[in-house]
Amino acid sequence: MSSRTTISRITAIGGLSTAVLLAATACGAGGPAATSGSAASTVNVLVEAGGHAELTGVAEQCKKDTGVSANFVELPYDGMFNRLSSEFSSGNVSFDVAALDSVWLPSFKDAVQPIDELFTDEAKKDIFPALVKEANVDGHFIGMPAWTNAEIILYRKDLFDDAKNKAEFKAKYGYDLAAPTTWKQYQDISEFFTKDGMYGTDVKGGVETEWLAHVLQAGSPMVLDENNNVVIDNAAHKDALDFYTSLVKSAPPGAAQVDWAAAQNLFNQGKTAMTRFWAHAYRQIPKDSPVAGKVGAAPMIGGSAGVAGVPGPWYLSVPKATKNSDAAKKFIKCAYDHNDLGIESSLGLASRISAFEKYQDKPGYESFKPLIETLKGQATATRPATAKWQQIVDTALVPMLQKAVAGGDSATLLAAAKKQIQDLLK
Amino acid sequence: MSTADTPINDRFAAEAVAYRPRHAGVVSAILATGTKTSGATAGAAPTGAMPAEPAMPTPAASGTGRPRRRNHHAEGLEAGKRTTRILLWIVLAAAMVLYGFPFLYLLFTSFKTPIDTIAVPPTILPKEWTLENYANALGRNGVLASFINSAQTAVISTLLSLVLAVPAAYGITRYKTPSGRVFIMAALVTRMVPPVAIGIPLASMMATAGLADTPIALSIAHTTISLPLSIWLMSSFFEAVPNDLEEAATVDGCSRLGALWRVVIPVVSGGIAVTAIFAFLASWNEFLFALLMTAIRSQTTPVVIANFQTQFGLDWGSMTALAAVYSIPVILLTLLLQRKIVAGMTLGAVKG
Repeated sequence: MSSRTTISRITAIGGLSTAVLLAATACGAGGPAATSGSAASTVNVLVEAGGHAELTGVAEQCKKDTGVSANFVELPYDGMFNRLSSEFSSGNVSFDVAALDSVWLPSFKDAVQPIDELFTDEAKKDIFPALVKEANVDGHFIGMPAWTNAEIILYRKDLFDDAKNKAEFKAKYGYDLAAPTTWKQYQDISEFFTKDGMYGTDVKGGVETEWLAHVLQAGSPMVLDENNNVVIDNAAHKDALDFYTSLVKSAPPGAAQVDWAAAQNLFNQGKTAMTRFWAHAYRQIPKDSPVAGKVGAAPMIGGSAGVAGVPGPWYLSVPKATKNSDAAKKFIKCAYDHNDLGIESSLGLASRISAFEKYQDKPGYESFKPLIETLKGQATATRPATAKWQQIVDTALVPMLQKAVAGGDSATLLAAAKKQIQDLLK
Repeated sequence: MSTADTPINDRFAAEAVAYRPRHAGVVSAILATGTKTSGATAGAAPTGAMPAEPAMPTPAASGTGRPRRRNHHAEGLEAGKRTTRILLWIVLAAAMVLYGFPFLYLLFTSFKTPIDTIAVPPTILPKEWTLENYANALGRNGVLASFINSAQTAVISTLLSLVLAVPAAYGITRYKTPSGRVFIMAALVTRMVPPVAIGIPLASMMATAGLADTPIALSIAHTTISLPLSIWLMSSFFEAVPNDLEEAATVDGCSRLGALWRVVIPVVSGGIAVTAIFAFLASWNEFLFALLMTAIRSQTTPVVIANFQTQFGLDWGSMTALAAVYSIPVILLTLLLQRKIVAGMTLGAVKG
């Protein structure tokens, strides 16, 4: 009997709860509906979690200037591509503006609107040339750069300024110890600091961008030429790979598994004297890190073609399926006009040259000059504009790099990767 | 008494004591049973003073030392039980460490300072304890709303699963029709398809139905995960309830539905609790559908937790702090329903 009573009570409570929940469910706890075009003066902005802070200041300013307010939908990076694919393919989007990683632009070029009117001559002069080129797909500008990044050199200034180190280095290598500018210097300095439980640098087998920057420095386009021919087996790619793997002896063991997070940890823990890393990391060194306040920044090293890096920009785009295009474009214009507001955020990046230049001499922003120099580098170029790029990275480039840093023959590995990429592009 | 004259159990006992095999506890248990059956013989045996414990008693000595043998049997049994118990505790402790360590590590990490969370090599305990990660995680925009959304979604999904699974499982087990058997197998098909394969079409369907970014849409999606498991679980619980119970209720004037409601459901309430908790957990921790189907108003906490990993870095401290807080409700729920769960788990075991 008691069981029956309990069950009756549970059922009654359950029924009531269901009714309440079903009634409440029409409006979840998060706020207003995320339906595109729900209100002409409100835009829903889909953004990767790390980029949200970049646009918060812009959103506030935009509301003041134009009356357009923004609701942000934050998603983790790994899931954002799936979400975008899902909504674009259904033709029913829940956002009016999307922040897109540069490598996604070719995949979504048919799902987003041209925003040519925002790319005035003045705007094109104030955006890094590589980004202007990348934003233009099939003759139309489809994304406005919101912020960009590039790899620069972060080094232990305290170790480089140490008199004993300076003297020993000069005695051994015949030139002064300073932030490296060439491959040879990077090799020497890495070797020099690999002692007493410390390593000169890291080698990242788990990511491809750094090796690709060396390919640009060696004077070749990355992986594909302008006609989409696979050129991964040319001399520049081999030189870059040989240089990359030559650093393994001066790097912590397990290079094949080292990715961005691992390399950043190693540097922030004081285990490596130098790292080639995205510029934003300079401002993200934890205050309680043993290297806090002891880090210097320099432009990315150069090869025979000079200094070069691979930019990592994010673009703001307007989906074709939104009913709120005007407000969406107003928001993007705001984001361009007040681009420097992103620099005050935790990520601390922008996309306009003038925005970086405004802050470059301020204390705490020492990474900006090297970043500007790297992004303006003659050989600096964005990744090939192919929808299959991520597939090429995941199935050919990263596995090839992992085998190379583990001791594989570079020529053989590059030849195998070429065949694999050709098959992917068929 | 010669060895040949000794009752078979006694001889067996003597050999067992002499050899002290590894499975002494088991052997002792067998012997204990054996000596009981030869009680009369044991009673007739001499009860002289016990010699000083020989390490290897001879057959002759064993033939004359019945009480000592019985003591040995008792000691062997006790020692065996002790050994088994110790072994069980070791296995249990190892299993607890294996399963519990990741959670403990998560918990400790949530109290670490930023540099401590990324220490190379990693440390288990924080060097310096801090609550900063909890303040950061809980102070983040949308966290409270995401908790409410998670609870709302999980409750609706659990109720939907139970409302659909209980009658389905009852019908399948009681009527045993061929279509029922096909149905129960077909129910598993959704479990065989990778969630991402149905996630994207489901998201499109919900958007078309005007349910985009609502907890009800996500609950329906979660029900596709929990319903097959719920039907199978409930079927096994209904199988354990004898038909006689229902027949008796029918004789007493109950209708079929009345018998189900008044007799069968109370009997399987433990099973319902087990099914409910599995359905709740499936929804509470689900990530992929939540990622594809929620945005501003219905985003659940697993997505918010994942947002601490960005392409620019990973905020381990805040991520682990929020994960620790998020696991509290399910731990409490499990403890609250522990008795029902155990009862439910053993319900199928008494089927006979």
